[in-house]
Amino acid sequence: MPVKWVLHWQPNAGTTVNTQIIAEVCQCVEGINAVKDGRWKVNLSFYRPVLKEHANAAEYPREFLGVALPEQPNKYYFVVRQHRLVLEADLAIQTIMEKLQSYKTRVAIIFEGFQYQLGDFRLRVGKVVPVHSENLRGIIMEIEYLPISSWEKSHRIMGDFHDILQEALSKRSAPGQFVHLEPPLADFALSDQYTSQHTCVQYANVMLQLIATVQATQPARN
Amino acid sequence: ARVNCRVELKQLLMECVVQGIIETQHVEALEILLQGLCGVHREQFKVHELYLKSGPNLGAVASEVRLLCDLQQPEPTWTVRHVGGAMRGSGAEQLSVLVRTMVESKVGKNVLRLFYLLGYRLDYELLRAGVAFHFFRGAQINVTVSSVNKMLKLHATDEAVPVTPGIQLVEVTAQASSENYTEVAAAMSSFCEYLAPLVHLSKPGVSTGVVPTAAAAAASLMSDGGGTTL
Repeated sequence: MPVKWVLHWQPNAGTTVNTQIIAEVCQCVEGINAVKDGRWKVNLSFYRPVLKEHANAAEYPREFLGVALPEQPNKYYFVVRQHRLVLEADLAIQTIMEKLQSYKTRVAIIFEGFQYQLGDFRLRVGKVVPVHSENLRGIIMEIEYLPISSWEKSHRIMGDFHDILQEALSKRSAPGQFVHLEPPLADFALSDQYTSQHTCVQYANVMLQLIATVQATQPARN
Repeated sequence: ARVNCRVELKQLLMECVVQGIIETQHVEALEILLQGLCGVHREQFKVHELYLKSGPNLGAVASEVRLLCDLQQPEPTWTVRHVGGAMRGSGAEQLSVLVRTMVESKVGKNVLRLFYLLGYRLDYELLRAGVAFHFFRGAQINVTVSSVNKMLKLHATDEAVPVTPGIQLVEVTAQASSENYTEVAAAMSSFCEYLAPLVHLSKPGVSTGVVPTAAAAAASLMSDGGGTTL
């Protein structure tokens, strides 16, 4: 499976994400001759434990995520980020979780937007919104390099492409940059050969960053 | 595509089940009979079953889930299975097979670790080893004939001992949907009648013991390799 980097938009200090930035990123990508060839969507859900009143919530995983990827329509993935666990399952696992009733999905997030082809690269640019809401929580980009499946071997060319993209964006005075967080593959027992589990770990990391960014840019509500 | 998958899954979330017991000495005869009846070769079957239960503070009600590790393959493969309660109502009670909800998913090998992290505990574990037959006869039917073994040490599948020495469990199952379970149940019942000389199959929890005349039937099958009609 080709290597993919999942990047999130890091706004400059004092700025926030907005849909105008997404439009600019798309224009920028089209400006370097990427061809739009479809839409994409990733679904992410937060599972929270159903606990008896006296239970200690700290004993249960704080970030238990479920992820559905468009490239794997028959699979569902779980990530427990703090325990470095990622698990691939069939779609039926969602039905099993519903029947167990020990965990419920409390928040669902959608990552969606346009997909582009640029030579051996496939790009996806999209917004991050809670389901049934247009409240923009972030901007996401996927860079996929089709010829290489090795994480190590692809590093240089992915980094170079990221730099090119960033340069094109700064020429348009975009108020921020796309950041790639290196996922701790070994901690998650993931090998050098890229899989959809690698993608899910990256999404889990991005989700954590987006939550931190939203919390940092919003003044304390209480 | 995802929507279509989900609709199909919802339609196959039940199973029909019957069970029975047979003395180990008659298993070979049963295998000959099964092979003759369903025309497929037996497969070796070795599954480590882990029965997990939610911890005391998790969930409004306790929940149970089974993890199945197929040890027959060179690389063990894992499945999660949720088994529901028996279907109720006069319609279901009149059937000679048990109908219940059953949902399965293949999973990666760190599934046990996930469920421990989520707050589940190991209730007990078993090793089932024997043979399995999978065939179509009015419905997609699965028959397993296996010894049920317990482990003397945690997860020690190499050191398992039979729970009931000299007796093996026969289980017949078929996946069904809320729309076709009566037809599937009928197909299963009809098939199970052919096994009656060797094993009496009934709803789990309704025990009937071994067939007293099984020895004679087995001798008949063994003597001419299954050519005899019982």
